[in-house]
Amino acid sequence: MVAKFINLCKLFFYIQKSNLKTAFLNTGDALVNVLMMTINNLSFIFMWWVIFHNKGNINGWTFSEMALLFAVSNNAFATYALFARGIQNLPEYISNGNLDNYLLTPRSSLFIVSTSESTFANWGDYLTGFIMYFLSGYVGWKTFFLMLLTSFLAFVILYSVRLIVSCFAFFTSDTQRLGDNIFMAFLTFGMQPATIFTGWYKILFLTIIPAGFLSLVPVRIITEFEWKDLLLMILASIFFATVAIRFYHWGLKYYSSGNRFGVR
Amino acid sequence: MEEIIKVEQLTKKFKIQKKTSGFKNFFKSEYKNIIAVDKLSFVIKKGERVAFIGPNGAGKSTTIKMLSSILYPTSGTAEVMGMTPWDNRKKLSYNIGTVFGQRSQLWYNLPVQDSFALLGKIYDIDEIKFKRRLSKLVKLFEIRDLLTHPTCSLSLGQRMRCEIVASLIHNPQVLFLDEPTIGLDVTAKEIIRNLIKKQALEEETTLLLTSHDTDDMEKVCDRVIIINKGKLIFDNTINKLKDSYLSKKYMEVTSESGEKIKTEVDTKETPVKKALEELMKKYHVVDMTVENPPMEEIIKEIYRRE
Repeated sequence: MVAKFINLCKLFFYIQKSNLKTAFLNTGDALVNVLMMTINNLSFIFMWWVIFHNKGNINGWTFSEMALLFAVSNNAFATYALFARGIQNLPEYISNGNLDNYLLTPRSSLFIVSTSESTFANWGDYLTGFIMYFLSGYVGWKTFFLMLLTSFLAFVILYSVRLIVSCFAFFTSDTQRLGDNIFMAFLTFGMQPATIFTGWYKILFLTIIPAGFLSLVPVRIITEFEWKDLLLMILASIFFATVAIRFYHWGLKYYSSGNRFGVR
Repeated sequence: MEEIIKVEQLTKKFKIQKKTSGFKNFFKSEYKNIIAVDKLSFVIKKGERVAFIGPNGAGKSTTIKMLSSILYPTSGTAEVMGMTPWDNRKKLSYNIGTVFGQRSQLWYNLPVQDSFALLGKIYDIDEIKFKRRLSKLVKLFEIRDLLTHPTCSLSLGQRMRCEIVASLIHNPQVLFLDEPTIGLDVTAKEIIRNLIKKQALEEETTLLLTSHDTDDMEKVCDRVIIINKGKLIFDNTINKLKDSYLSKKYMEVTSESGEKIKTEVDTKETPVKKALEELMKKYHVVDMTVENPPMEEIIKEIYRRE
């Protein structure tokens, strides 16, 4: 079991090395893309800074909480885009039969598909994430550790949501755009001040569209740490990951490897 | 000889969606079952080189995909090296290699040698064994000059040679080749066929090769299975098929004036050499081709004789 895990880690690092090699075919482009991604993120955040500067707070949230939200969501998204972005191609692989190659390896097809693509520019998201953490004012060893931990758990939830929507492709055709739209909606919800959602919206925000785990819960864990919140987030990430992985394996039974006949 | 592939009553149905016309039916879809593989049964022994032949849509690729664990069957059983493919996907993959003519298992932007190294890691091959194995395959498939080229810069023929090496890197006992010569020119096809056969003979690899090109089976395999509409219609040696159904050849000669003369020759009665001599007596031949009958015609002939 341990040996298997070590082997998988070795393979993970080797794949990342190959992805880096591909990204650095043109070093200048790669670095400019990182810089542009950071500037793009910061310009979006600047808009929120202006809103908070004029309004003071939104239902109790100030720019500090918003900065923490951006720290967690940017780090989570960067982890997804750098190490697991291949999953967004799953609908395409399913509909054109390219999933075959991934199924034929002795490793988990999900692992190989997920790590098959990486966007180097998203290192800019990590950069943004850390800048926002330091701008939040909640700086300290404990908050830093909690920020890293919640970012990772938010990544697990983000990845699971993407996997679930990608798996629709096993059952219907042309779900690439549908998947992109649902995923973008999820991200958009997660980038709003969480305190604007109350009552039923809040329940929706933590269940069907679990964007609350990108914003509300991690910010609360970092600012007003309570074990029950951390436990809730850990359980939620385990739950969504389990549902997503099971859904993928169930969908595989319906995979038709590009042999799906169609009549116009 | 040891039975390495055993297929019994294997069936695969696909559900297809059919949109009906008219505004009333705009949100309604009709479904229809298509039988791609229909109660197929056969056995392949260790070291056999089997051609799996049939026209487009016969069910060749679907069968290979079930045997290589990609697809689940609708019914029936199959065993590859004693394992049910779809239940033992990971374990089986260490023992089989697959080449799909229309798909690449190499990383598009990476140099070929990096793709091989990555596959070595995926198959968890010991570094020294990997180097020894790669060096042998590189020599056999003559791809030394291609190793540093990114896959995207290779010609189709070069890429196919690299694809086959990639599928053999973990030393599989069974190699599934799905249309490995598709889209290649005559010279590249010949090179690929020779290399596949050479490797299979050298390492006693069991081959299952699908193609709709009868030349692939003649040059590479010793046994042929023909399927049509998912059903097995012929299973015998290549020689038997040649004697029974491939005795007819289509010849086309081009005369100096540019005239094209087409003729059919039954090689049981007139050898190709004699037919050509006669044509050369009559015309000043500048070009010629000799072809086997197309697959559709062979199948028609099999049905006719039944």
